[in-house]
Amino acid sequence: MSIPGEGLAKGLAVTLKTMTRRSHTQQYPDVAPELPPRSRGVIALLAENCTVCMLCARECPDWCIYIDSHKEEVAVPGAARPRQRNVLDRFDIDFSLCMYCGICIEVCPFDALYWSPEFEYAEYDIRDLLHDKEHLGEWMATVPPPPAHDPNGEPAKEEAAARKAAAPPATDQPSSGPPNARRRPGSGSRTDEEPP
Amino acid sequence: MAGMTADTGALRELTVGTGAGLDTADMVLNIGPQHPSTHGVLRLKLVLDGERVIACEPIVGYMHRGAEKLFEVRDYRQIIVLANRHDWLSAFSNELGVVLAVERMMGMEVPERAVWLRTALAELNRVLNHLMFLGSYPLEIGAITPMFYAFRERETLQAVMEEVSGGRMHYMFNRVGGLKEEVPAGWTGRVRAAIGEVRRRLPDLDNLIRRNDIFLARTVGVGVLSAADAAAYGASGPVARASGLDLDLRRDEPYLAYGSLEVPVVTRSAGDCHSRFEVLLDQVYVSLDLAERCLDQVDRISGPVNVRLPKVVKAPEGHTYAWTENPLGINGYYLVSRGDKTPWRMKLRTASYANVQALATLLPGSLVPDLIAILGSMFFVVGDIDK
Amino acid sequence: MQLPAVLGEPIRFVLNWGRRYSLWVFNFGLACCAIEFIATSMGRHDFIRLGVIPFAHGPRQADLMVVSGTVTDKMAPAIKRLYDQMPEPKYVISFGACSNCGGPYWDSYSVTKGVDQIIPVDVYVPGCPPRPEALLHGILRLQDKIAAEHSGLGGVARPDELASPADRVGPPVGRSTESLTAPPVPPPAAQQ
Repeated sequence: MSIPGEGLAKGLAVTLKTMTRRSHTQQYPDVAPELPPRSRGVIALLAENCTVCMLCARECPDWCIYIDSHKEEVAVPGAARPRQRNVLDRFDIDFSLCMYCGICIEVCPFDALYWSPEFEYAEYDIRDLLHDKEHLGEWMATVPPPPAHDPNGEPAKEEAAARKAAAPPATDQPSSGPPNARRRPGSGSRTDEEPP
Repeated sequence: MAGMTADTGALRELTVGTGAGLDTADMVLNIGPQHPSTHGVLRLKLVLDGERVIACEPIVGYMHRGAEKLFEVRDYRQIIVLANRHDWLSAFSNELGVVLAVERMMGMEVPERAVWLRTALAELNRVLNHLMFLGSYPLEIGAITPMFYAFRERETLQAVMEEVSGGRMHYMFNRVGGLKEEVPAGWTGRVRAAIGEVRRRLPDLDNLIRRNDIFLARTVGVGVLSAADAAAYGASGPVARASGLDLDLRRDEPYLAYGSLEVPVVTRSAGDCHSRFEVLLDQVYVSLDLAERCLDQVDRISGPVNVRLPKVVKAPEGHTYAWTENPLGINGYYLVSRGDKTPWRMKLRTASYANVQALATLLPGSLVPDLIAILGSMFFVVGDIDK
Repeated sequence: MQLPAVLGEPIRFVLNWGRRYSLWVFNFGLACCAIEFIATSMGRHDFIRLGVIPFAHGPRQADLMVVSGTVTDKMAPAIKRLYDQMPEPKYVISFGACSNCGGPYWDSYSVTKGVDQIIPVDVYVPGCPPRPEALLHGILRLQDKIAAEHSGLGGVARPDELASPADRVGPPVGRSTESLTAPPVPPPAAQQ
């Protein structure tokens, strides 16, 4: 049998020990938290990439994406008939309903949607949580570059695309390179890797 | 209970307040649905004779969200999102059950790297879950401090979980056929560092509370659940193992990579509140070790972490039951498919639902001050009870 | 009670300052978001820095209610009741998708589609669950709102549009009851 009060003394010793340590409190409003690039804070839209395929709106588990569009005819020089093109009129995400699962971003075939770690958009009125095309576009500036993948696994699709684009020189880019070396989706350098 | 006769016994339960004169009547007391000492909105209807509980009826349903019905109108990827949320403290393990069921129906082989990563993440999730209860249980019976230590460790581990999945609680990292994506470069190293840090600081929590005299006085010998009762109520997980019911699916019916891991099962035989707490605390050490061993494998195995899926994922007609050892006990999904994109029925067997049933036998006879100690030691999540 | 105008701006400032930085919070923890609420109150995020005090013994001692989690139809009466027990001035933060509008469970048969159907909400924090910093941000937004209030001694009069007329304190704002008791308005044809 142990001495009575031993457990209490041990506990108090822990408290005393912790008292001498630095606190680990984050000074949030003054110091912005460091969030990992995959952090699911808010969804950003790159409207130019959207082709109104409606996949995101259909796959959303609670159907919180609202898309409207109209068709527009584009005269292509040399072609017999003008080409039809979808023009995005409305792209709203209701962040009061959103489950932050990332399915829309995953299914988007044209990389029009991105996660941004931003979280500071609490509102006084629930209607303001419906972010429209312009508001979603503003979040693009906050989208971080994706992290490099573990060298044991498969490279990220962005890396594969970049490698394909740089295929003629056939430079073997190490997959564990610094993440900043890769293109930043928000910086408008997306066209770099498009095939010419 | 002077003056009480047998024929009034049937009426007694309904009488509220005190009787006239020297007669005493039993009091009906509602604990909950919102009560500071319960986590979540479980309501207990107690019949008290003075300080002693003579009957207890858990009234569930305050958190019933109809998840099973919602599963039926969502495809298998969308189900993962919802399945995350019934037991919000073990989101990863919940996802796992769904994808295991669908993968089994589709006869899908999951890449080895994904299997080991899943195992590592499931164990980290177990630690996160247990840390929550290791903090909240002492809090419920009056010790505030351990909560701060538990959450310090939780934040450390949540940081690495967020780095890989993007979510702090609802990871949404499993997919049918593997995981969503590869882990970031250097992640395994950072997880090891986090595990090391938690392991180094865990003795703080241990020293604070495990042998604390007040904590011992409140929990030892209180709320004893016998192994037979635990088995009768279908209790599982730490609650059952504390009663000596040595059942752990990770060892007894291995899924994921548990078959090739030596899983030490933590058991106690006393079945009281303190042994339930101890099982949880010791399990944290075990899970940290397991996670670390899985990470070693992850570093050794290269390859993809998911398989290419058909455009529309449809489980072939049939049914299957996938169960996993969730942090709180056995969590099972009975999946019936008619060959559609969505399940025809997806029945949920949750750990907390079964464990809480035991309260009806545990509480009668106990004192009101012990009530919260017993209630807290059942380690339930209300969403897991009510689905 | 509205303050006399002579006291004016300084008193208003002092009152609002006091209210802003001593928000005794009552956590209506219902589901996942409650865990993030607890995480916010713990050492790492520590909202006591912002003057939010998580030790309210019950609704009667609280200034701020944080509804975190899914509100089910079965639970809704309890929330309404506890909200009514809170003394004025009182504020509500709806924390997370479920309490904002039902969130993942918006098509469930047993879930209330947003806590704002039963109690007025001051700040909506989006997320599922929102990260602790998002709650801190929501609290900052609420404090900004309180600072701008033109409040009297009893706080801002907040007519509860959802309460039954009998419960209403003071003259009803918004729809006038006169329209119910006034003689019927003759149709336009009869006027001419």
